[in-house]
Amino acid sequence: MTAMKNPPLAPTSSEGPSVTRAAGRTSAKAAALRSRLSTGAIGAVVLVLLAALWEGYKALGQATGDRLLGLRFPVATDDLSMPGVGAILGALVEPARRGTSTILGVYLLEEASVTLREAAYGLVAGSLLGLALAIVFLHLPPVSRGLMPWLVASQTVPLVAIAPMVVIWGGKAGLPPWVAVTGIAAYLAFFPVTINALRGLKSPPKVQTEFMRSVAAGRRQLLFWLRLPAALPYLFAGLRLAATASVVGAIVGELSAGTGRGIGRVILTFAYYYSNGPEKLYAAVLVAAVTGIVFVQVLNLLERFALRNRHTR
Amino acid sequence: MPESPIIRIDGVTKQFNPGTDRSVTALADIDLTIAEGEFVSLLGPSGCGKSTLLRIMADLTPPTAGSVSLNGKSPATARRDRDYGMVFQQAGLFEWRSVQRNVELPLQVAGVAKQERRAKTAAMLDLVRLPEFARHFPWQLSGGMQQRVAIARALSADPKILFMDEPLGALDEMNREHLQGELLRIWSDTRTTVVFVTHSITEAVFLSSRIVVMSPRPGRIAASIDVDLPYPRTAETRTLPAFFDKITEVREALHGMTVAEDAA
Ligand SMILES: Nc1ncnc2c1ncn2[C@@H]1O[C@H](COP(=O)(O)OP(=O)(O)OP(=O)(O)O)[C@@H](O)[C@H]1O
Ligand SMILES: [Mg+2]
Repeated sequence: MTAMKNPPLAPTSSEGPSVTRAAGRTSAKAAALRSRLSTGAIGAVVLVLLAALWEGYKALGQATGDRLLGLRFPVATDDLSMPGVGAILGALVEPARRGTSTILGVYLLEEASVTLREAAYGLVAGSLLGLALAIVFLHLPPVSRGLMPWLVASQTVPLVAIAPMVVIWGGKAGLPPWVAVTGIAAYLAFFPVTINALRGLKSPPKVQTEFMRSVAAGRRQLLFWLRLPAALPYLFAGLRLAATASVVGAIVGELSAGTGRGIGRVILTFAYYYSNGPEKLYAAVLVAAVTGIVFVQVLNLLERFALRNRHTR
Repeated sequence: MPESPIIRIDGVTKQFNPGTDRSVTALADIDLTIAEGEFVSLLGPSGCGKSTLLRIMADLTPPTAGSVSLNGKSPATARRDRDYGMVFQQAGLFEWRSVQRNVELPLQVAGVAKQERRAKTAAMLDLVRLPEFARHFPWQLSGGMQQRVAIARALSADPKILFMDEPLGALDEMNREHLQGELLRIWSDTRTTVVFVTHSITEAVFLSSRIVVMSPRPGRIAASIDVDLPYPRTAETRTLPAFFDKITEVREALHGMTVAEDAA
């Protein structure tokens, strides 16, 4: 977890050592900015290194006929198996299909935004369900013991087996396909939230729960003023897992759904017509990955805001 | 004691895990009365049941036998009426709340309106001499400052009784002596009845109007020693011959019981 070193949001107008505090805050802000910049720089370097590795491997294979010291390369390096980085990026700015003016990059982003929306709805629905379950489990340990094995089992059933069933049920019920896809995303999202939220709800030390008892706090006050705030850092850890899971769920859901929309659908189509344009599939996968990153980053921003006043965790 | 008892403990016994092979008799047949305005320390070796006795008074754990009355009520009723405040060995502040919001928590639980809460909190922070830290967060304070916030928090709902379980135990010697002085000042400002758990003889003698010496296995009251050193007590008090005499007296009471136990 990230250490939150942000200073408190004390208004600078407050009396006393406000000058030094303000100065401390500026330098802390500068430090935070510097660390964020260096994080960005490292990310860029990693990207460039990956691209260079890809191109270097390809160039080596092309020069040696995919053989080195008598050993065959594990992956062939011809343009069909490994389109060049330039070709992949180039494909992004070419028309998506013959006869259309929309370029592939824009088309992929549009489809990705469909997926992102399904994943986001799924994440919200799954997280609410997950949090509600955690609160029920906290108060009713027998229910927790009885239900938990089933929840674990639900997560080990292969998604590819469940997704088509959910899509069919949704279709029978007359719901639009994206609802089923959202349902599948939610199904993958709730579990990490339940597990982490439950741990967080149980995290307050005895001295804090007993203090609440000593001031005669009610059940609800105990939950809202102690257990839930204490659970927040845990909740965000669960949400981050749930966010990636919900994107996976949405993409796999799209594969089974007859929507014809979403980045999952696009990947399926491009894989089907792979030989016509291998670089298109790679471009789509790239955009899908970026989608996931954006999703998690949004969550990170939310977390940073929610935990801005905490020192640790 | 000239005044009326605010705490009355009659024949309290506490057994943990009764009927099992891990059964422990933590307290055996405790009788104790504490008058309004007293500063009573519970003193004794580790494991003699000081915390257990305090927790029974505070309705954090039930006695196995016997009865307790607090301010004329059962501990459960007294707790619900917020007749007492509690300070633990760890400050246990809520790290997501500012100092001010920590201190006002008991008032918030009691449903006191915001304006009144803020005024009360400000007065409490003045009392513990931390007014300029209202908007700080617990992790920005030293251990001693956090403990002062915990004291302010315990006193914010104006309890008649203050329970403290080794509140200064985690502090270094200098901080500790400083806070002992502060605590006496707060006690004389608020006229709260204090029950204070410690295993430091000097601390007990410096602070208390009366010291209840406890003996272990099972926990019993071995002696009740009045400390007649005049208040206000200051750093100078620590240098008085009477101070050392009292320390010796308490030490002998503690010691005598160890000897008696060895003989038994
Ligand atoms: N929850 C519990 N379950 C079982 N035994 C307990 C429990 N709490 C306390 N005890 C036992 O009761 C006895 C008294 O414990 P207590 O914590 O009251 O001692 P203490 O005087 O406060 O000691 P210390 O100075 O170390 O804090 C000990 O023997 C301890 O093992
Ligand atoms: Mg103790």
